[in-house]
Amino acid sequence: MSKEFKLPELGENIETAQITKVLVAVGDKIEIDQPVLEIETDKATVEVPSEVSGVVNDVKVKDGETAKVGQVIFSVDSADSAKSENKSKVEEPIKEAPKAEIQEEPKKEEPSVPKTVTSKSEFKLPDLGENIETAQITKVTVKSGDKISEDTVVLEIETDKATVEVPAEMTGTVKEVLVKDGDTAKVGQTIFTVEGGSVSASKESPKKAETMSEQKPAHVSEQKAEKKAEPQITQPRPSVASAGSLPARKEITNKIAPASPTVRRFAREIGIDVHQVTGTGPGGRISIEDVKTFAKSLNESISKGAVGAGVIGIGREPLPDFSKWGEIERTAMSNVRKKTAEHLSYAWATIPHVTQFDKADITELEVLRKKFSKKVEAAGGKLTVTAILLKVISSALKVFPQFNASVDMENKEIIYKKYYNVGIAVDTEKGLIVPVIKDVDKKNIVQLSVELKELSERARNKKTTLDEMQGGNFSISNLGGIGGTYFTPIVNSPEVAILGISRSAYEPVYQDGEFVPRLMMPLSLSYDHRVIDGADAIKFLRWVIEALENPFLLSLEG
Amino acid sequence: MSDKRQLVVIGGGPGGYAAAFFAADKGMNVTLVNDENNPGGVCLYRGCIPSKALLHVAKLLHEAEEAKNWGIEFSKPKIDLDKLRDFKNKVVNQMTGGLGQLTKARKIEYIQGRAAFVNSSRLHIKKVDGTEEDIEFENAIVATGSVPTKIPGLSIDSPRVIDSTGALELNDVPKKLLVVGGGYIGLEMGTVYSALGSKVSVVEMTPSLLPGADKDLVNVLKKSIDAKMEAVYLNTKVVKMEDTGKAVKVTFEGNDIEQKEQLFDKVLVSIGRSPVTQGLGLENTKVKLTQRGFIQIDKKCQTDDPKIFAIGDIVGGAMLAHKASAEGKVAVEAILGHKVAFEPNAIPAVVFTDPELAWAGITETEAKEKGLKVEVARFPWAASGRATTLDRPDGLTKLIIDSETERILGMGIVGYGAGEMIAEGVLAVEMAALAKDVALSIHPHPTLSETVMESAEVFFGESTHLYRPKRK
Repeated sequence: MSKEFKLPELGENIETAQITKVLVAVGDKIEIDQPVLEIETDKATVEVPSEVSGVVNDVKVKDGETAKVGQVIFSVDSADSAKSENKSKVEEPIKEAPKAEIQEEPKKEEPSVPKTVTSKSEFKLPDLGENIETAQITKVTVKSGDKISEDTVVLEIETDKATVEVPAEMTGTVKEVLVKDGDTAKVGQTIFTVEGGSVSASKESPKKAETMSEQKPAHVSEQKAEKKAEPQITQPRPSVASAGSLPARKEITNKIAPASPTVRRFAREIGIDVHQVTGTGPGGRISIEDVKTFAKSLNESISKGAVGAGVIGIGREPLPDFSKWGEIERTAMSNVRKKTAEHLSYAWATIPHVTQFDKADITELEVLRKKFSKKVEAAGGKLTVTAILLKVISSALKVFPQFNASVDMENKEIIYKKYYNVGIAVDTEKGLIVPVIKDVDKKNIVQLSVELKELSERARNKKTTLDEMQGGNFSISNLGGIGGTYFTPIVNSPEVAILGISRSAYEPVYQDGEFVPRLMMPLSLSYDHRVIDGADAIKFLRWVIEALENPFLLSLEG
Repeated sequence: MSDKRQLVVIGGGPGGYAAAFFAADKGMNVTLVNDENNPGGVCLYRGCIPSKALLHVAKLLHEAEEAKNWGIEFSKPKIDLDKLRDFKNKVVNQMTGGLGQLTKARKIEYIQGRAAFVNSSRLHIKKVDGTEEDIEFENAIVATGSVPTKIPGLSIDSPRVIDSTGALELNDVPKKLLVVGGGYIGLEMGTVYSALGSKVSVVEMTPSLLPGADKDLVNVLKKSIDAKMEAVYLNTKVVKMEDTGKAVKVTFEGNDIEQKEQLFDKVLVSIGRSPVTQGLGLENTKVKLTQRGFIQIDKKCQTDDPKIFAIGDIVGGAMLAHKASAEGKVAVEAILGHKVAFEPNAIPAVVFTDPELAWAGITETEAKEKGLKVEVARFPWAASGRATTLDRPDGLTKLIIDSETERILGMGIVGYGAGEMIAEGVLAVEMAALAKDVALSIHPHPTLSETVMESAEVFFGESTHLYRPKRK
């Protein structure tokens, strides 16, 4: 049978595209995701992947033409496509298309699948990941009588790790829904019953193909082809495909993941449940590469808004081929770099940032700092402006509790914390690390100096533990040692504010009718406008500045 | 501040000392509290090590006996029990002394005494020298292990009723010995005493020796046990024990036993081991116990008190030294902030009887219980050249293989030296090896290890030395 490939949606407000190059010709055998067109929109030149597979029998456009979204570009002899299926195939007489083996197999299977598996079946809450046993159902998106297919989203659930849409992974008609919105369900619990159901063909067919191959050696090549196609099914399509479902999860009940201890440890370290990873080795053995590929596919679906937080609804722009313009080198991101990139992208995309700038006159403070530095040194610390700022900030947090808070948008609540932990950004060989000093308000400046020195050393020696990096309420980023005048620090979510410090310099300040040289320290306060308003921010920053200029204030108000 | 210990390990068995050593190697300041002179625990002082020294002797005695069949006849061995005991003690002292040196070399603070929690960050220590001290800790690992279980309401206070500890002391060789419990400890000690000349009877409550092990493996062992032991009573319970002053009068209950009252010179009670949670002051912490009295932990070996970890026999599961050591390392890494979990796919178990019996990964019984689709490939040792040269055809190697992926999920061996060979099974299971991988790995000839390769070949119906075509 014939299938048409139409120019897919290319993005918001893009209705036409210029076809710079047609990458297929009549007679070509193509697969899903294979690039078939090179097009140019007013935004970019991109390759368009195919959504259909089969043998091209007619190409309707030429290089240089302009095509509309939805216009037929070419057609293929095929039995299957990524999106539409199941409709008329059963009635269609099966033509022997000699080259289209890959599609042949599922087509032959399909008529038999409903026969064997039909009748009533149950949809159970699938395994959601390591250590997740229950989930709160935020929404049941099907009702009795609904027809569902594999990709139909049937549930929206919330676990302690994420909010997830759960796909049906079966077809049929919903008979009875056994849960309602707000219920908590256990993994394995029956959610609804289905009539005329069949389990996802993609799961069933490889097994069938195998049993067939024993009887009919002629099918061996087909079976292999299909096996190869399997990993594609489990990975989210990078381009146009539906962003609604998670990467297919494997059944893990009673299954021991076929992965060596090193691979299991690696997966655990990067937060992946190894049971969910599809192995590409013999017998489905999972390699480190497989885990990485899975993690990448997960990240992609996260950035598309499929999983959990999903606030960052922006697709990734394809990168140009930089090597066209000169030599390049690719290196893998370190774990710290990856985490930083992900965390800060999230913070940047979710927090409405405003940055307030000001300067503090630290001329007097500097005199005091030098005067007492020996004393602090004797105690094993180093009296730095950051150490003093720690104390000042903890006092300011008490005066301005909205700066010692977090936002819970889900419940529309603000969480005020009654403890005062402050993170300090430390630049290390491996990247940015923010160890947290706990209970700053209960420690004096000497103690803070000692602890700060220890923490920074530990961070630089890569000794910081996870525990030491958690539980911060506010962060300080001091770049003064390096330079700069002002910068716009990114709030370290879920905190709501961060103070950036730049290099202090002597400046002429007009005082009592004349210019006097004063040591001025530039401060940049970024804050989360959802909970902190501009006026609060200026008051907070002025309070900090006054405390720095009149240290006595700390003992008065702090 | 200064006397706050970074890590205190309580208990110096193979869990505790492995954890302490590993933590020290990772740069931590470690304190090890243990009541013995040197680390070692039950394993070295009263378990694995001394029993293996004695079992080695038992094996030698058996082989000397068997040599008759090969044309070599020894005169009846003279057993100098004192000298044998000295040998066993020498082994123990040498090993534990070595551990003491390793403790010093790692600069671990060794406190000889018993520790009890005062609260979630403080321990009270009663030292062996009579002094007492309180110490603060940042993290603690509890590894106080287990002791032999007594039969509730039955065990009597009599020098004629002993447990594994008493049996290893080797005070005498009783003429008639009853072993209560057909688990690995009972069978191992029964083997020792039978070789030394005791007439040993074994009584087991369940229908099988070594509950938990696969039947086909146990059957091979049972034949040898039946030949060596006076009697093996299955499905039989001991309901009464009484010290008559000369012997112990034991009353049995069960259909498989005719003589319900019998006299024994000694009774060895080996019905299991119970965790040592008493006297630890756990009630002063947030640590919780399971219903069965073990300390409750998560996959990181962390208790409900976040600064307190627990490992080894005291947390239940397989009460084996190597499992405790592995948990100890997980606990230390967890304390260091690493994302770790104790999730092995294979914990090997070895019964050092004659023949030895060992398994790793899932057993056939487990696979059935879990409803896994598996195939079992068996290679009997009668087809092994090496086994024949040893005149030990009483062996069986089996693989439990996932039908779909052909992955090896478990291995079981009964036979001479099975304990040494099971390690290959552990590696195969942990590395997710396929039956084909093992079949294609060249094994040295002529060795018993070939039986592992050949059982993988059996799976494909192409074992060289066993003609058993695969059913089509």
